[in-house]
Amino acid sequence: MTLRVAIIGYGKMGRIRHEAMERHGGFHVVVACDTAVDPAASCPMVTDPMAVYDYNPDVIVCSVPNKMIPDVVCTALARGKHVFSEKPPGRNSEDVRRMMGAEKAAGDRVLKFGFNHRVHDAIEEAKKLIDAGTMGELYFMRGVYGKAGGPNYAQNWRNDPAQSGGGILIDQGIHMLDLFQMFAGRFRDVQSFVQRNFWTDVPVEDNAFALMKNADGIVASVHSSATQWQHTFRLELYLRNGFVSVDGILSASGSYGTEVLTVALNRLDEGGNPIPNPESQELRFTEDKSWDKEIAEFYAAVAEDEPLRCGTSQQALDVMELVEAIYAADPEWCRIVQDHKVQENQEG
Amino acid sequence: MQTPVFLDHLPDFETVAGEKPEQYRLTRNKALLDLMLDCSTDWTPRQACPACGRDRLKSRNFSQTLLEFLRCTECNTIYAQRVPDQKVLDQLRLEIIEAQVGDDPGKDREFEFTSLMNWVSLTEARLQRRLDKVVDIRFASQAPRWPEATRRLSHGRSWDFLSLTPENTEFDELCARLAHLSPKAILMPAELDRVADPEALMRAIKQSVASGTVIFVASSCADGLEYEILGADSPSFIPLDRLTVFSINGFQALSARVGLSVLEVSTPGRLDAVILDRYFKGTENANIPFWSGFFQEADKNRLRDLQILLQRSLKSGILRFVLEA
Ligand SMILES: [Zn+2]
Repeated sequence: MTLRVAIIGYGKMGRIRHEAMERHGGFHVVVACDTAVDPAASCPMVTDPMAVYDYNPDVIVCSVPNKMIPDVVCTALARGKHVFSEKPPGRNSEDVRRMMGAEKAAGDRVLKFGFNHRVHDAIEEAKKLIDAGTMGELYFMRGVYGKAGGPNYAQNWRNDPAQSGGGILIDQGIHMLDLFQMFAGRFRDVQSFVQRNFWTDVPVEDNAFALMKNADGIVASVHSSATQWQHTFRLELYLRNGFVSVDGILSASGSYGTEVLTVALNRLDEGGNPIPNPESQELRFTEDKSWDKEIAEFYAAVAEDEPLRCGTSQQALDVMELVEAIYAADPEWCRIVQDHKVQENQEG
Repeated sequence: MQTPVFLDHLPDFETVAGEKPEQYRLTRNKALLDLMLDCSTDWTPRQACPACGRDRLKSRNFSQTLLEFLRCTECNTIYAQRVPDQKVLDQLRLEIIEAQVGDDPGKDREFEFTSLMNWVSLTEARLQRRLDKVVDIRFASQAPRWPEATRRLSHGRSWDFLSLTPENTEFDELCARLAHLSPKAILMPAELDRVADPEALMRAIKQSVASGTVIFVASSCADGLEYEILGADSPSFIPLDRLTVFSINGFQALSARVGLSVLEVSTPGRLDAVILDRYFKGTENANIPFWSGFFQEADKNRLRDLQILLQRSLKSGILRFVLEA
């Protein structure tokens, strides 16, 4: 079965999705939409998002800025289309709830969000190791995800809160939070410091630090940063019998390095106490298959009625609520955001 | 196929070159000499590389001391040009075990044992398959404290230990015992390089277990830097224990021929750097381009970096394979 696809938002992400669908073979991209028509595009292009429906697609791929995501997703679902949307799922949890309403009303239509980190090889491998039970009970997780803010930081829509809903945490840190919740379930108890250090001319955070605990007492800490001059992805999970860590994440830019999974089981002294620095195993992953795996899962859900495991709207809601809880847990940051809104209203 | 790197502290050089290992080495070499002087010894010449099967004419000389060894130019495997009967080899090993030469029950092999147990546990987790019944092939005879260590440290897994007994060419006894046990996994850390016909051993194992059985093997590795630089002068080259030193490519070729699929390959050896370090610091006129200077100036950190690099490049002196029947 070949699914007819319309891509709304034909920028970097839209094109990555297009290529992955071509590799899969079960999709035919019938039209793409963006603000300008690219004469070099390999499919017909339009500039009006509603015009894509003239091409009678089965699937809408939504790769637009956060602010526009809910409208595009809700319209597509209302028109009976299956939807694959980029993360973050809108700008806040209210946006997600709106999309969940549309999803419910659309019956059996599939809605999937692109939380691709869950299906990176090293992450999947870490999940297998932990699920096997050998490593024992999970105690805590530590995550660092950061980059150097990049050119045109202040001009990028990602750093305009009206369009994006926040800064580095909602854009990049959200992946780490999604992984935390994949490994340990919901986190509701949150403490945080949210800061703006380097890019002070835009009203979004360039660093967020959070410490959280779930109902089982598992603690996680995250640092999401746009002033991490050395691009870094590092996730550590410490368990009763050892630890697992993932260093680096394969990305389109390649700047976070290859994925290195390190795992160790403790060795014990005669008294049964762990001896420091156990032998560890290091596994390297050099090929990013996450885009293909996501598209394959989406296809299986649409064409073969398989249940969705990654990127469900519930997961999207859970992670968006956690993002909001982190912003809300720093009173000083709340005041800065509030002051900015007041100032904007006065200027407006 | 995955290629994990096993990271750990650098071991002490004394573990390969201390008094006990030296005594063991001398005893083994004397046994080999006796064997060669004994006119009644039956020797089977090897006409081809035991790993990749390439004609022995495609191999070059590796060592002439005591027994003649060749190195295959096709797959890099090192092999004795002729081998005694399996039964004789086993008998000699039993003698040395009984005499407890080189065995050091007081010396802690716990780290090695833990490493083997964790290897099985983590592979089990990654394969998402219960390996709750493991058969150890002959390692318990070599390492008497090993069974006790499994009882103490290996939870949720039953172990059976097939001891070293004199076998015929086809390993019939081992086959019968293995078929009776029907394990989920097999662990064989010290046989491949010591048996007369490693292919016969691998075939015997394959035909005695159910398909899907996971086989963990470890052995010396001809791709290791210690063998590349020191050749037969490497202190870990004890001819009678190294009748076949497989290269990675060589053992892959053998596995394919026997019908075993390779799930994982690694070279977790940790001794190359310290062995070479000792050699170059202790040999005054060693003059090998680059390496002489490298080791003259090497401190512990540099040795560790080198050892990790060797492992990451699959170039250390021990190999580990995880195979599936
Ligand atoms: Zn060969």
